Amino acid sequence: MSEKIKQVKPKEKVTFNMIWQKYGTFGILVILLILLAVMKPGIFFSTDTITQILSQSSVNILIAMGEFFAILIAGIDLSVGSVVALTGMVSAQMMVAGINPLLAILVGIIFGGFLGFINGLLINVTGLHPFIITLGTMSIFRGITLIISNSSAVFGFPKSFTSFISYKVFDLLPIVAIIAILVAVILSFLTKKTKVGRNIYALGGNKESAWYSGINVNMHTLIVFIISGICAGIAGIVLIGRVGSAEPAAATGFETYAIAASIIGGTSFFGGKGKIFGVVMGGLIIGVINYGLNILAVPSVWQQVVMGLLIIGSVALDRFVARKK
Amino acid sequence: MGTLVEMKGVVKKFPGVTALKDISFDIQSGEVHVLLGENGAGKSTLMKILSGVYQPTEGKIIIGDKEFSKLTPKDSYECGISVIYQELSVINELSIQENLFVGKLPMKKLGPVSVVDYAEMNKRAKELLAKIGLNRDPKTLVEDISVSEKQQVEIAKALAADSKVIVMDEPTASLTNKEVEHLFDVVRALKKEGKGIVFISHKLAEIKEIGDRVSVLKDGAYVGTKQVSEVTVDDLVTMMVGRTVQNTYQHEDAPDSYENEEVIFEVRNLSRKDGKVKDVSFKLHKGEIVGFSGLVGSGRSEMMNSIFGAEPKASGEVFIKGEKVNIKSPYSAIKHGLAMVTENRRETGFFHNFDIKQNISILPFIKASTLGGAGGLTNSKYEKTCSEEQKKSLNIKCYSVDQGITELSGGNQQKVILGKWLAADSQIIIFDEPTKGIDIGSKSEIYALMRKLADEGKGVLVVSSELTELLAVCDTIHVFREGEIVKTFPHKEATEENIIKASTADIA
Repeated sequence: MSEKIKQVKPKEKVTFNMIWQKYGTFGILVILLILLAVMKPGIFFSTDTITQILSQSSVNILIAMGEFFAILIAGIDLSVGSVVALTGMVSAQMMVAGINPLLAILVGIIFGGFLGFINGLLINVTGLHPFIITLGTMSIFRGITLIISNSSAVFGFPKSFTSFISYKVFDLLPIVAIIAILVAVILSFLTKKTKVGRNIYALGGNKESAWYSGINVNMHTLIVFIISGICAGIAGIVLIGRVGSAEPAAATGFETYAIAASIIGGTSFFGGKGKIFGVVMGGLIIGVINYGLNILAVPSVWQQVVMGLLIIGSVALDRFVARKK
Repeated sequence: MGTLVEMKGVVKKFPGVTALKDISFDIQSGEVHVLLGENGAGKSTLMKILSGVYQPTEGKIIIGDKEFSKLTPKDSYECGISVIYQELSVINELSIQENLFVGKLPMKKLGPVSVVDYAEMNKRAKELLAKIGLNRDPKTLVEDISVSEKQQVEIAKALAADSKVIVMDEPTASLTNKEVEHLFDVVRALKKEGKGIVFISHKLAEIKEIGDRVSVLKDGAYVGTKQVSEVTVDDLVTMMVGRTVQNTYQHEDAPDSYENEEVIFEVRNLSRKDGKVKDVSFKLHKGEIVGFSGLVGSGRSEMMNSIFGAEPKASGEVFIKGEKVNIKSPYSAIKHGLAMVTENRRETGFFHNFDIKQNISILPFIKASTLGGAGGLTNSKYEKTCSEEQKKSLNIKCYSVDQGITELSGGNQQKVILGKWLAADSQIIIFDEPTKGIDIGSKSEIYALMRKLADEGKGVLVVSSELTELLAVCDTIHVFREGEIVKTFPHKEATEENIIKASTADIA
């Protein structure tokens, strides 16, 4: 009898900390939106604001969702920005050469996955930390982009492609946001309901235990980097569609925002913890900050400074709240 | 001559276990005091109290004319106590001389700033190395010298700190005979200088050679102190083994030999490339529990890792119920019904980021998966039911299977790990140090469970450094030495004395 009582779950008090852990990132997003509304009254009376934020954030959210998996296994993927540029460039050149846009898109995405596969393979073969490998491939992929493009932009895409990418459902929801949501739903399912997803969390939590539990560490590392590459590939296509051209220097530094979105969204840098939903929130937070700084006419030279401070601030706030009992 | 250190009535309690019970121990100037006992007897704990790593629950420590109720590492250092652990603490990236003076580098004034006086450091390092007979340039990087030389650097470091007491924890464990001789020469020289040496070792013959007095610990209790010259090796073994084991988990009507039973698991001629396992063969019969004894590093765990596919093997065959199986990875081992409860729960056992149900369900999910572990869906309903089932049958103490595993005690964590293998319906279960760091209550539960599994017809293999544990549960005990099975004892012939003798080469 006494044994039974001991095993009864202690009555849990709903603490601020618990609410924060569940809805913290969402809270930050809401606070930022309110802040924006106060500083620029009337901003949300135009549907354009929402549309703008969504379509601007989509590229980063797509990249960040791939980055999330790399961080989840206690690694990192620094090459995502270069993968975005290279896949975008390859698809752009195919379209300009008259190949069916749909085929060009498909090849671009698969090519992104292939570049991720290269990352994973190099990590497995050399046994080096993903930081080092992807630091190298970041430079390699960027270099290849410059070589194949002859260091100049590619433009003149078929109308069907550009109008598809800039299409807005009901004149409100951009198609790129729908693409991001679709990818988010698929990846969320992967993390929550599939064995491969569970294994990736296990691998991130404890590589040795994972091995002894029968998880093929190399294969799952490959899968993780292929996912990251595919996400960056999709982002690359979205980006050229939005901009209307493929720039060899496109997406430079995007890995920083992708990492930031993952971390703001609650992904543990030590691996094994995090959610796709959090990453989407993290990406939106960065999107809102970006949009807000523009709309408030903060000089562009200061925007980077403010952005950096806000990234540090939001993560520090999260840790600070989490540590308080 | 005189007493350098005296520890009186030292008690150390950890949550759930009393590691040391009323121990008194003293160190005289100019003597080698041997501390003897099995793994887990409390030798290291006692020395960690002396070095300030642990604080005693009760008791006092008198060093010179100062009396302490507890020591900090700084106190201990300042009182002239140095401990040379089995896992050496030299810094590989630094030179020998920097290692010798780390933390108190000789300094000189260079105008207004103090800088390291490398000339002085080199001079003093040369003197120290000459004293212990280490023929190396003090500027050599420590990563470039051998293990025994690293050990000598540690001794020189203790001298550099002007230590009065030097504790050596199994210093000969990884040395060749020649290196051991040299070490003993150094120890004798230190004795002459009036240093007090505490020498921890399993090797009884060595104790006769180098020791002056010997104190024996057993299960955290003090057994006695003797003059080495007045005792025989057999006396020492009797002191170490002490009383007979209270609990056994063998069946009273167990047969003398299981030869007539079905062979459910067999290993033939297993060898590893690194030479840690050499041509090992053994059989496991239905209903039998087979144990593996031997010193740490004798190849037992290495063999199990190779059987389980976690580490490569060079040659050898594995048979399950007479059928030859080809195991290349833990994944294929699991598919064949093998399980391995690894030695380090935290490092190779559980997932700290998972709750109890996720830790348990991962294995049945993997076992039922396709595409090498990646294919298929998880099932939250099954996850819940399979973990609830294990919680109940293993008596895992938790309020919910949704609880994080890090919130549980060591014993309950171990049960969760067991639960994951049982949930996957494993047929052959390898236990590597199954009760390391576990409280006594959970220990006996795990022993009883092992017997139950064997009775159900499952294979149980146990690797353990605790002899009492092997004697309590195993029907057959193989003794490992240097990668080979050197002796096999049926339960009725196995005694701690026999096994200790067999596992230490020098008195076999």
